[in-house]
Formats: sequence, C-alpha cells, structure tokens
Amino acid sequence: MSLRGFIIRRTIYIVPVMLGITLMNFTLINVSPGDPVVVRIGLIHCETPDCYNQAYNQEAFEMGLLDQNMYTVPWFTRYINFVNDLLHFDLGNSWYYTQAGEGVPIAQIISERAVYTLVLNILSFIFSLLLATAIGVVSATRQNSFWDRSLTVAMLLGYSMPLFWLAKLLMLLSYQLFNFTGVANKDAFRKPLFLNPSFYKYLILPTLALTLGGLVFMARLVRSQLLEILRQDYITTAKAKGLDNRAVIYKHAFRNGLLPIVTIIGNSLPGLLAGSVMIERVFGWPGIGTVFLEGALFRDYPLMMATNTIFPLLFLIARLLTDITYVFIDPRIKY
Amino acid sequence: MAVADEQREEFLLDEKTLREIETMKGAGQWSIVWRRIKKDKMGMLGLYIVLFLILMAFTSWILLSFDQFLTNRDIILGDPNNAISLNNLYVELWIPGMPKDSPIVLFNHPRYQFADQAKLPPSFLHPFGTDGTGQDMLSRVFFGATVSLALGFIGQMTTVIIGTVLGAIAGFYGGVIDDVLQRIIELLYSMPGFILMIFIIVLFEDVQIPGGRYAVVVIFFSLIGWGGTALIVRSNFFSLKQQDFVEAEKALGASDMRIIFKHILPNSLAPLIIIVTLGIANTIFLFAALAFFGFGDPNAVSWGDDLNKWQNDLLEYPWMPMFPAMFIFFTVLGFNLLGDSLRDALDPRLKD
Repeated sequence: MSLRGFIIRRTIYIVPVMLGITLMNFTLINVSPGDPVVVRIGLIHCETPDCYNQAYNQEAFEMGLLDQNMYTVPWFTRYINFVNDLLHFDLGNSWYYTQAGEGVPIAQIISERAVYTLVLNILSFIFSLLLATAIGVVSATRQNSFWDRSLTVAMLLGYSMPLFWLAKLLMLLSYQLFNFTGVANKDAFRKPLFLNPSFYKYLILPTLALTLGGLVFMARLVRSQLLEILRQDYITTAKAKGLDNRAVIYKHAFRNGLLPIVTIIGNSLPGLLAGSVMIERVFGWPGIGTVFLEGALFRDYPLMMATNTIFPLLFLIARLLTDITYVFIDPRIKY
Repeated sequence: MAVADEQREEFLLDEKTLREIETMKGAGQWSIVWRRIKKDKMGMLGLYIVLFLILMAFTSWILLSFDQFLTNRDIILGDPNNAISLNNLYVELWIPGMPKDSPIVLFNHPRYQFADQAKLPPSFLHPFGTDGTGQDMLSRVFFGATVSLALGFIGQMTTVIIGTVLGAIAGFYGGVIDDVLQRIIELLYSMPGFILMIFIIVLFEDVQIPGGRYAVVVIFFSLIGWGGTALIVRSNFFSLKQQDFVEAEKALGASDMRIIFKHILPNSLAPLIIIVTLGIANTIFLFAALAFFGFGDPNAVSWGDDLNKWQNDLLEYPWMPMFPAMFIFFTVLGFNLLGDSLRDALDPRLKD
C-alpha cells in the first residue's frame, strides 16, 4: 500500500475516535448531577415563581434543552446538534468569558489564545528534544563516568519533581536573583506580539520550566535506548572498521535508536499537553490551558466541552504525524 | 582432562554471569529478586523512603483516629466542628533536664490553631514553621501523609485490579470482547488524563457520597485509568496462552479458571508489580497536581491541598508551601527509585 493510502486511511480513522470522545464527554455532562440551567441563571432575582420559571425556560430554550413547544429535547437529538455545530466550527458561546453581557464565541477565544500555547509548546519541545539528545548521548557514551552519574541523578530528581512545583521553584529562584517573578501581565502581550521585547522576556521562564519538564522525561529514554544499541554487533563492526566515534553514534546508533523514542514521545503527548496546562496556569500565560482551567473553576460547561474536544483532536493529529515520521526514519517500514 | 574442561567452562563465562550465578545459588524466584534489590543502592534508598512514608502514614492515621474517637465520645471535652476545643492529643517529647510540666510538643492536632502564632518561620517550637492560620506545619505535613498516600495506593490498586481483570478476559478469550475493549482503551488513551480528570471533577463535584470529594475523584480515576494496565496484561495473557505448558494443562482437562489463576497470572505478576510501584508515584503526583490547581478537597488535610492553600505565599513565606511540596517530591522519588530497581530485578534482560 502506498504512503498516501496509509495517510488517508489513518486520517479517516480519526473520525470514529473523535465521535467516541465527544459522545463520552456528552454523556458525562448529561449524567452529572445538578441542573446546568440552574448553574447558568445563578442567583436571578425574582418576586414570583412565574418569573423564575419563565427565566428558567428561556435559558433552557437557549441552551437547546427545550424545543419551541417547551418539550424536552431527547439526548440523541442534542448530540447530533452538537456534532453538527462542531462540524461547522461553532463551539457555542462561553459562559465565563463575556463581553458586553454576551458570551464570547469559544471559537474566537481559542483562535486568539492558540498562538500563545503554540509558541510556548513548540519552543520548549524543540529545546527539550535537542538537550535530551545531547544529554542522552553524553551519558550513554561515557557510561558510569562522573558526568553520566551526575546527569542520571539530576534527571531522576527532575523526574520526581512535580512539574508545577518546578515552575514555582524557578519563579522563586528568579525572584531572588533578578527580582522578576515571570508572571505575565498585560504589558507582555501588546500587539504586534512578535516585535514586542517584553513578550520574549516573559516567555523565558515558562519555556524554561516546560523544557525541563520534557527534558527529564526524554533524556532517560534516549540514554537507555542508546545503551542498548551500543551493545549491538553492528556497532562493534562499525568501530572495528575504523569509523570515528562521532560517525558511529550519529550515523549508526542514533538512527536505529530513534524509532522507539519517537513512538514513546508520540504516545506521551497528552502528558506533555497536561504539563503545558500546568505551566501556563502557574505563570499566568494566557494560552488554551489557562482558558480551560479558568473555565473549569467557574463551571463553564461549553468551554470545557470545547477544550475537551480540541485536546484529543490535537493528540490524534500528533499521533498521525508520529506514524508518518516512522516511514522517514526507518526505511524498512513500508505501507 | 576433567580439569581442562572445567577451565574452559570458567573461561567461557564472563565475570558478570559468574556473579549472577553466585546470587542465584539455591534460592527461589522471589529471594533472587530480593537479593538483586539489596545490591542496588538506589533501590534500597527508595525502599527505605517508601517504608518510612508508609510508617508515617499509618502512625498519623492511628493517632488521628484515636483522637477523633475520644472527641466523638466526649470523653474529655470537645466538639469535632470547633477547632479550638479539639482534644489535641499531643505527641510529646521530654528531654531530660527540661521542666516536666511543659514538654516539647512534637505533633499537634492538624487543625489545632495556635493563637497569635501565624506565619512564624521555622523555629525550635515549630520546626517547619506555622501557616497563615497558625497551624503547625510539621503536624500538617505529618498528618497529611495519610490522605496523600492512601489516595495513591487506593487509586492505583483499583486501577490495576480493573485493568487486570479486563485485560485477562480480553487476552484469554479474545474475539469480540477483545475488539471492543481495545476500542475503549483507544478512546481513553487519546484523552490527556489530567484534563479529563478536571472535567469530571467539575461535573461531579456536587455528588454526596461517604468519603467526601476525594472518594469521587478516586472512583473516576480508576474508571478511566485502567487502559495501560489492561493493554500490558492482555498482551501477556495472549502470548502465555500459546505456550506449551498451558497447552499441556488444557490437554489434562484443567478448567479455564485453574489455568488463569494457577498458571498464567503468576507468570505475569512481574509486570504488574512494576506497574503498581511506578503507578503509585504517578497517581500521587496526579492527585497533588489536581489539588494544587484547586480541584481537591479544601477541607482535607493533605499535602496537595496545603500546597494549594499557600502556593501564593511562596515568595514571602517560603516554608509554608515548601514542606508539603518536599514531601510530595520525596514520595514520588521513593516510589520511582523502588520501581526502577524492581524492574531491573524482575526482568534483568532490560537492565543496562
């Protein structure tokens, strides 16, 4: 089968998984106790029960729980409506984020905030990948040396440190050294964003924290993978025929060790995403993670529903890309 | 001739293999594992940390239960809702040479508030300082071990049990059950656990069940977290099912239950032990993270909730959040060290 056929098949495969995920979220919201309409109208001030009932019905109608004749809409109709809206990129209006009394459309919030999350994540992902490779190679080629031991212990300590606490400690350290906590303020996000020097200033600490978080996880992996490969016979052969160390490691060992590393990193992307949510919250970085957490703290159902659809979608796309990279890494894999 | 043979054999075995043989001489499977762990310094450090924490959690649990028992029975005086009137059974330490009527108090009741002693830095009387409401941080950390560790243990054990049962069924019987289960696992796997947990906690925070909010959290954690265990158990069962000893047992007419419990399960115990040990570390970390971001139970005495309460005081009063965070770190470190060492001991092929 050709590569293109494989990609098309895998892309189509995302659809049923996404349907399952949205159905799961939808069911969870429906079986949860408490009436979302009551949550929504909150402490409405009413003299008579009639007034309250009218407000209640009006709200329920707007939320799509009641139809025009005030009959309850069955759950499958609501689910189909929800999926239909999703396909039209209509994620509904937020309850928590409001502008002039109206809820801001969630699609708008997310498209505004996605750039912050993307910049932070891509930067720290690249940094941690590069650093993890360097550390892994240093540790594996000089096994049991002073550097290997100290790096391994450092990685282990970092691996056991909760990521949010690592971020807090970085904040404390930076406060003590430079009197700068790194908590983002309005100043950092003045447009144009990429020409704004203070944007980069406030980017440093979150990127550093997220880089460390990914680094400790990947470096362990690279090290153990490389160690296993360096024991193989073909490495001995390569050394025996007089190749220098650099060529042995990067040409022979590294390419073969890449496949499991890519697999595990691809599968751990949800964890890395969760890490990004934590870091964003700690540093007040206004990305999608902060939006999600704030929405959750204030029980903003539509917003949570939207983010819970977007995060798995991102993950599935990332896994698709992972599978495609296999073909370029490993010439033996044919589809 | 015989001497030459022996010499050749000695020559063929390298030093490492010889040492391995020495370790295994005349021992069962588990004592071999134990001997391997004992040789691993990091593993032993992890084991000591874990044992210390379990002891601490048990002691604090018993002390607190005893205190509550006395308070509820009105034996001395006390109203469980009134922090001032708590019995506050101290754990006292009397150093010879000090006055006997005012001994040093090691641990107070975790909710006991010292009047006018809020935000004190670490001192002789309060080794970990006091928090913003005048509670002794050392006591908070000591009694918080119960909830923090119990959540990790219970959460991970239920997850592993559900995962093992479902994975065993799928791996042993295969067919439609296997297909359905794999699809469900795929769904659960594509959701970031932390985010899905927050979603569920927010939706179900009004549920009233005995055990409070953390009971709800643990139940849902075990309902969505079993995917990884089930996958590993399934593949283990799948490969063991085709081994000759299972075929032989089947030919002898053994029932499915006997094959599963007597033959396959003991053979796939090693990965399960590793999953539990490393999983407890992850679970404790996850619950601490949930509490840190405000999705815990603010009334519970646990490290994560203390961390959440005082996280913004880090720059001004660093000792308040520092000590609970340190204990979370040590717990996760201990379980990680022990888990790594167990993995090396149970499956020496993976060792570097």
